[in-house]
Amino acid sequence: MQADELLVLVAKGDQKAFEDLYGLVSGPVFGLVRRVVRDPAQSEEVAQEVLLELWRSAARYDPGRGSALSWVLTLAHRRAVDRVRSARAAGEREMREAQRANGPAFDQVAEEVEAGLEREWVRRCLDRLTTLQRQSVTLAYYDGYTYREVAERLSLPLGTVKTRMRDGLTRLRECLGGAV
Amino acid sequence: MTVLFRRSELHSLAAPYALDALDPREYQRFEKHLKRCDSCAAEVRLLREDAVRLAWNTAAPPPVAMRDRVLMAVRTTPQEAAPGQTAQGPQPHPRAAQQPLPGMRAVRPRPSRLHGLLSPLAATTAAAALVVAALFGVQASRTQDELDQQRTQAREIANILAAPDAAASAGRVSGGQSINVVASASERAAVVTPAGLGNPTNGRVHQLWLMRPEVQPRSLGLFEGDTPLLATDLNPDATSLAVTVEPQGGSPQPTSAPVVQLALKSVGFGE
Repeated sequence: MQADELLVLVAKGDQKAFEDLYGLVSGPVFGLVRRVVRDPAQSEEVAQEVLLELWRSAARYDPGRGSALSWVLTLAHRRAVDRVRSARAAGEREMREAQRANGPAFDQVAEEVEAGLEREWVRRCLDRLTTLQRQSVTLAYYDGYTYREVAERLSLPLGTVKTRMRDGLTRLRECLGGAV
Repeated sequence: MTVLFRRSELHSLAAPYALDALDPREYQRFEKHLKRCDSCAAEVRLLREDAVRLAWNTAAPPPVAMRDRVLMAVRTTPQEAAPGQTAQGPQPHPRAAQQPLPGMRAVRPRPSRLHGLLSPLAATTAAAALVVAALFGVQASRTQDELDQQRTQAREIANILAAPDAAASAGRVSGGQSINVVASASERAAVVTPAGLGNPTNGRVHQLWLMRPEVQPRSLGLFEGDTPLLATDLNPDATSLAVTVEPQGGSPQPTSAPVVQLALKSVGFGE
């Protein structure tokens, strides 16, 4: 069964459907959260919260508004970003240390696990963006910075960053459009 | 002129919004703007789909023990009713409705042993975080004292979930109401989660009882909607849990027949 159908059953309290949904989405959710949060323990915590939230708020999913996986990953991304930001706000330096220490190892593990076509495509399409487009998009999406923080880090005016983000996403769409 | 400027300025936030790259104040402003702007909503949906493509290359297998913890937590977590308002994707702080889901399906009784929880400490912490998240989600506006109390309760719940002998079971009745229980005989405690119980009419309450052979039932507390109850100091010879409808404030002894009853044998009691 597809994630879309499973979510509808989950919204009705079907625990078996949730187990199946877990099988489908836990990998994408955990991987995305870990990419953003970095710290292993915190990533696990956030991923668990996201998965539990799927159970709790499955009734909010509206199939008319997009695919279930998009909905799930949008939720996961928002929670991951919330976590990094509050960690940053709290000045958790050890987390940044952990980020640096663990970064490469993570990517390696992820690479070994799924060297699928999609992964390859995203990398290729990101390579086709201009440097500023790519940096604006990835600093926001993978590192959880706000566009104001991105502008500061890249020493660019706010307007430029907003435009680069939009252009970057649009080009990504053109490049990845057929590769669903 | 000013209005036009502010509109286009707001509009330029669509891409940062899709990337979750707005600070909370701008996020709220933009969400407000979205409600009045149909073309923006369509564009944002498209940009969001684009942003999600960036997650295609990040999938990774989660820790094996996470599965058991999540599925366990699901058993003790009430669900939200369908939202009255339509929203742009998931909400940051979903608020649970008090009404039970109309089509709520109760799980069939299915005892299960939980050997998957590896390190007790790690499992406890993670499970506590989960339960806290669940409680926060259900009751978004609470005082600090109440939050502290919830945290303490969440920790106790987590202890039960992480106990090596923790087991789950569920009891249902024809009306679609049910109670789920996760109990640990060694901890002499249980988490009891109602599903579809709701609140009785006329200010009456649902009261939870511990039934033992040849002893008067003991009150384990009053349910508030579908919020889980933590039951401690359970007697090893306990045979079942029962829920009755009682007058406001509860009764010293049950005054009506149970609406739901659940045997505890399958979760390690009554021996």
